[in-house]
Amino acid sequence: MSKRIKQLVVAYGMVLPAFLTVMLTVAYPIALAVVRSFRDQSTGAFTFSNYTFFFTTAAQFKNLVYTLFVVVMTVAIAIFVAYLLALYLRFSHSRISRTIGALYLLPRFVPAMCAVYAMITIIRDSGLINRIGLLFGKDIHLGLMYHAQGLIVMNLWFNIPFAAMMITAGLGAIPDSIIEGARDVGAGRFKVLTSMILPLSVKDVIIAATFVWMTNVGSFTTPYLMGGNSPKMLGIALFDQFNKYLSYNRAAALSVIMFLICAVSAGVYIYSNLKDTEWEMQ
Amino acid sequence: MRMKRIGAMLLACTLLGATLASCTGAESSGGATTAASTTTAAAEGGSEATPAEPAAEGGGTVHIWATGSDNVRQIFETLINEFNTNSEYAGQYTAVLNFQPSGTGQAAMTDGLAAAYQAGQENTEYDLVDFSGDDLSKIIALVGEDSFLPLDDTMIPNRGNVAAKSSVAPDRVQPYRGTTVILAYDSEKVPEPPKTLDELVAWMEANPGRFVYNVPGTGGAGDSFVRTSVYNYLPEEAITSADEQWVEQWDEGFEFLKSINPYMYSSGGSIVYPNKNQGSLDLLNQGEIDMCPNWADMVLSQRASGELRESIKITQIDPSFTGSLQTLAIPTIGSNPEGAAAFINFMITPEAQQIMVQQMAAIPLIDTSSMDMSGYEDLQGLDVSNFRIMSIGNLGTTFNERWDNEIAPLASIPE
Repeated sequence: MSKRIKQLVVAYGMVLPAFLTVMLTVAYPIALAVVRSFRDQSTGAFTFSNYTFFFTTAAQFKNLVYTLFVVVMTVAIAIFVAYLLALYLRFSHSRISRTIGALYLLPRFVPAMCAVYAMITIIRDSGLINRIGLLFGKDIHLGLMYHAQGLIVMNLWFNIPFAAMMITAGLGAIPDSIIEGARDVGAGRFKVLTSMILPLSVKDVIIAATFVWMTNVGSFTTPYLMGGNSPKMLGIALFDQFNKYLSYNRAAALSVIMFLICAVSAGVYIYSNLKDTEWEMQ
Repeated sequence: MRMKRIGAMLLACTLLGATLASCTGAESSGGATTAASTTTAAAEGGSEATPAEPAAEGGGTVHIWATGSDNVRQIFETLINEFNTNSEYAGQYTAVLNFQPSGTGQAAMTDGLAAAYQAGQENTEYDLVDFSGDDLSKIIALVGEDSFLPLDDTMIPNRGNVAAKSSVAPDRVQPYRGTTVILAYDSEKVPEPPKTLDELVAWMEANPGRFVYNVPGTGGAGDSFVRTSVYNYLPEEAITSADEQWVEQWDEGFEFLKSINPYMYSSGGSIVYPNKNQGSLDLLNQGEIDMCPNWADMVLSQRASGELRESIKITQIDPSFTGSLQTLAIPTIGSNPEGAAAFINFMITPEAQQIMVQQMAAIPLIDTSSMDMSGYEDLQGLDVSNFRIMSIGNLGTTFNERWDNEIAPLASIPE
């Protein structure tokens, strides 16, 4: 056996256990689910009906649109607020900014279930805000519970700190010297923001947005505890299919649909990474 | 250098071998006993009958099998401890609990027991098994009544004190506690709760937005409300039948559910049905609604621990919501029928019943006059001899889907 072959055997031998584990526990179930999604539950024959069901049934299609609405709003608002927060944390050196900088990651350490219940006790129609209002003679009903707005508020609570963390890291990589340089040659604050900071941090914004997007498409706890009955977010609709109706093939099809929705953002993520590599290679 | 490479190669081979071995190992052991091997104790019981280890004087060990939520585990631990140390059988038998939490594998316990029967095993550790109404119907359908020993008063002297009878295999299972869905209400807002369904509907119409039931499929209380609402229009035998023919007769009941929809709880301008039993109970406790169907034990135990306000009370309406009896049965393949019978006898003593009342707000099945019911007086008003049992099997799935398609979309249209 030549030296080269031996080396190859060793190399592949080392990789094989990890490779097999991934194939068995990730790739194989995914492949099975995809195959299942094209099969009729009772006959096993090839069909598209598991997919068309989600686009032709009014209630299911509403769920899809509703989920996209909640997710798009969450991404847009979370990124906007997180960007402002990150700018403040990066360029202000006051005591307040340092305190916020130390505290803003705390929500990441609160278990999701506790956070959701805490939010519910504050915003529900008989919650904290309502009770404070009653002290001043006002019966405030926010109407957030069981509606999209409530879900978005909760999602923002989870995602703003996360997005801000990623964007802050990106902004931290912009050296003070180039900003000072730009100011020296007469660029105003706004010009510095639009021509220097934004272009230099856009990649981190995209990455943060893709992560927020992906984690919210399949969210379950928040919509289960705070969402209404109709329309529902896809995570709940999926739970219904496999847990309530035992329609495993439709559940598989819905999983694939959700995967494709997530894949949109994964595509953006990979594209922005590739572009970056090209730039580095030049 | 060379040694290093050989070493690395050896390591890689070992790792690969280990991976493969563990795969095949898992496969070969995953035969007939898969369902029973959820716990290590179960694996022993499934494969070979290990004789009871620290054979206590005379009777030996009794293996008790139960499944359910954590409160079921806690109550069994308390009762078994009491049986082993304080009862008349202390020192004679030693009871051991094999508990399978629900949710980790649907009906793992009944599947394991059925597998043991079908594999023809004998002298197993399935000495005594605890069944909910659903599990009991399921296991009887799988292995037949004859798989359990007939029970009589000589084996279980206290048996005569229990009036309640199981609807399935009444001579072979012993009911020992009950649980039922009731109407929970806030007695400050509703001093005189409705006594019939018609009165309840009239109350809903007079007080829109003050009643709700949880989404069926997310909790038994909502299931019970919608199913009894629909099955009130059907012949009595339909409620315990999984026959497809009844599906066609649901229409009238669903029309009824549609007709009460506008009077349900609303928030943010639309009708809302909360998820889970706890969802509607929270709304009741917060004062956002005044009545909801819920489980008797859930309401009373939360009230006793201070989570619910004192003014929240329970009542039953006519026609009633559904309830079920929890039963114990002795499998013929067990190895200690005398010990099992002794444990059953213990479970229907006033002492054991009292523990179940105080610790889980279970409905006692014996005369309560000699028991301390303080804090749980509401339980005494519930008639256990006349539980309305529901078992519609797989129709439940079709039922929930129809509710989701017909009633849930209405939710967005407020009154």
